Amino acid sequence: MEFDWSPQDEAHREELRRFLDETLPEDWETISRDGPGSDAQAGFSREFCARMAERGWLTQHWPAAYGGSDAPPWRHAIVGEELWAIGEPRGPQYMNVNWIGPAIMEFGTEEQKAQHLPRISRGEVIWCQGFSEPEAGSDLVALRTRARREGDAYVVDGSKIWTSYAQHADFCILLVRTDPEAGRHKGISVLLVPMRTEGITVREIPSVVGERYFHEVFFDAVRVPVSCRLGPENEGWNVVTHALQYERVGAARYARAALTLDRLAERARERGWLEDPHVAERLGHARTLVEAARVLTYRVIDQRAHGKPPSTDTQLARVAGTDADLAVGELALELFGQEGLAYGSFADANFRLAMTAGVAVGATEVQLNLIAARHLELPRE
Amino acid sequence: MDFELDGEQQAILDSVDVLLSLRAGPERAIALAAKGELDHDLARALREAGFLSLATEVGPLEAALLVERAARAAAVLDVGARALVAPALLREVPDVPVALVHADGRGPVRHAAFAGVLLVADGAVARLVRVEPGSLAPVRSGYGDPLGFVPEALRRSGEALGAGSGERLLRWWRLALALELSGASTAALATTVAYLKQRRQFGRAIGSFQAVQHRLARCAIRTEASRWLALEAAHHGAPGERVAVAAAHAADTAAQVFRETHQLSGAIGFTREHDLHVFSMRLQSLRLELGGSTAHARAITAERWAEGAP
Repeated sequence: MEFDWSPQDEAHREELRRFLDETLPEDWETISRDGPGSDAQAGFSREFCARMAERGWLTQHWPAAYGGSDAPPWRHAIVGEELWAIGEPRGPQYMNVNWIGPAIMEFGTEEQKAQHLPRISRGEVIWCQGFSEPEAGSDLVALRTRARREGDAYVVDGSKIWTSYAQHADFCILLVRTDPEAGRHKGISVLLVPMRTEGITVREIPSVVGERYFHEVFFDAVRVPVSCRLGPENEGWNVVTHALQYERVGAARYARAALTLDRLAERARERGWLEDPHVAERLGHARTLVEAARVLTYRVIDQRAHGKPPSTDTQLARVAGTDADLAVGELALELFGQEGLAYGSFADANFRLAMTAGVAVGATEVQLNLIAARHLELPRE
Repeated sequence: MDFELDGEQQAILDSVDVLLSLRAGPERAIALAAKGELDHDLARALREAGFLSLATEVGPLEAALLVERAARAAAVLDVGARALVAPALLREVPDVPVALVHADGRGPVRHAAFAGVLLVADGAVARLVRVEPGSLAPVRSGYGDPLGFVPEALRRSGEALGAGSGERLLRWWRLALALELSGASTAALATTVAYLKQRRQFGRAIGSFQAVQHRLARCAIRTEASRWLALEAAHHGAPGERVAVAAAHAADTAAQVFRETHQLSGAIGFTREHDLHVFSMRLQSLRLELGGSTAHARAITAERWAEGAP
């Protein structure tokens, strides 16, 4: 047990920071104000990811066989920390490199690998994930979008909801039900669907979070070649749970919360608020939550670095990250008071980005259920 | 970066665990509490096995692992002060119990009634005060560790340990606190989880109710984080911000764990016939030390964000 960064990792972090200083435009804070799905940020991501790719950093944690350089998990974690903290210039593409690419490596055919992996590792493609449905949110496995086999194609009918990045996406990793008679976890398949296929319509759902946050995606007799299925038919649930287990901590929320908290404290100091012991205590307590989320996330990365199977430590890290994000967002609003209500102000921008934390990528309550069942081994009954 | 124990650390902890399982534990803590005693036998056994000198002979992280394990095993001993704090300040680790004292603190002090050495935090300096073990008046208390009264004259006396020693004492004291809090919180939670798997009401195990499970799950997240934060801080040599973060997090965790474990255990949790109190009552004592969570939280802000902070 030891908790030092290797000199190589430290050097990489420094190099990355220099690169960001040079690469991010002056109006980056404005670009990133509305989150990774906004037009501005999704657009910028194509430019930015291409530059990351040129340096071999975008998918350095991938195996060399797929255009990576087998970088250790810690190296990729540093990239996640640095990029997510400043507002994620990879835009929606962080999903591609974190788990969509690896899922294709694990379950894809040679043809699928050849089609998708180079484009992902060059940073030129945007994906969305078609998981949630109007009647299948936290209870994802209740999904009903139907894919009927017709010759060498599936015909997809149904709809997905809350889909981030759908308006910008080139592809959708889509969960469909291929056998409605099978049990809840059986009969699900994964399709890799080009978004520019006839019969797909996308509608933005206006939200209070930011631009282009939520969408509905409608599938009306959409023909998808069978060759686009990822993994075996009716075993899509395994594909998804396997692919997502490691990546559930994916976005380094704590890193974003840590940087926001530092900036908040800096503003508080400039205004003389740090003299108020109550403010000092609030900031200190928020820092404990950010640090807790960081160390629990590191624990998950460490297990990956040791080649251990994913454990419920992932859920511990997830909930801690959510708590940190929410606490910092709320604290920013409270310290700035009504000043924070103005759109785009420091407090507003950060609060809006934080407020979905407990719901996005699976509700906190579901994580707590898993911790109770698997970590504490409490009875189900 | 490696969260797994290496071979040497594993070997140390294996022996520590065997020793603690034979010589510590809630039952022994209850017997010692009835007599208001410190566990001198355990101290002797740990010393003879070389565990009290881990900090100097192996490193602070290994000593930290010992302190956390001892707290989990309900050791009634000044193990944090002796194995972790004293070695950071003194060339020779004392063979007598060590009590940590704040010069301005008027309340009773853990282990003072048995202490042969007081380490007093007095602003910029720490001072070493030698006392005859057993000479300080015991203070009756139900909060886990035996307490003693340190008169003001003694708190102002002693030999100054040099420039920076006051700050050093506070840092390592905070770390020891974080580790003891973390160990005791983990044990309190484990005790309650085990009980709620067995205890049935309304025809089912209490631990099967989701309203109960979520509260326990939240405690588990906090105890895990507390432990890692404290061990990380130990590895880095107890830097000011990290120890304040670890202590504040552990103190807040302790408050939550106390509340939840007692609420969910029902009346049995308040009895001396159930193990929970051995850990939980101690949590209240530990979480108040050094000004408690609010003082630790202010220290974080001072260390990280104040004008001219490092």
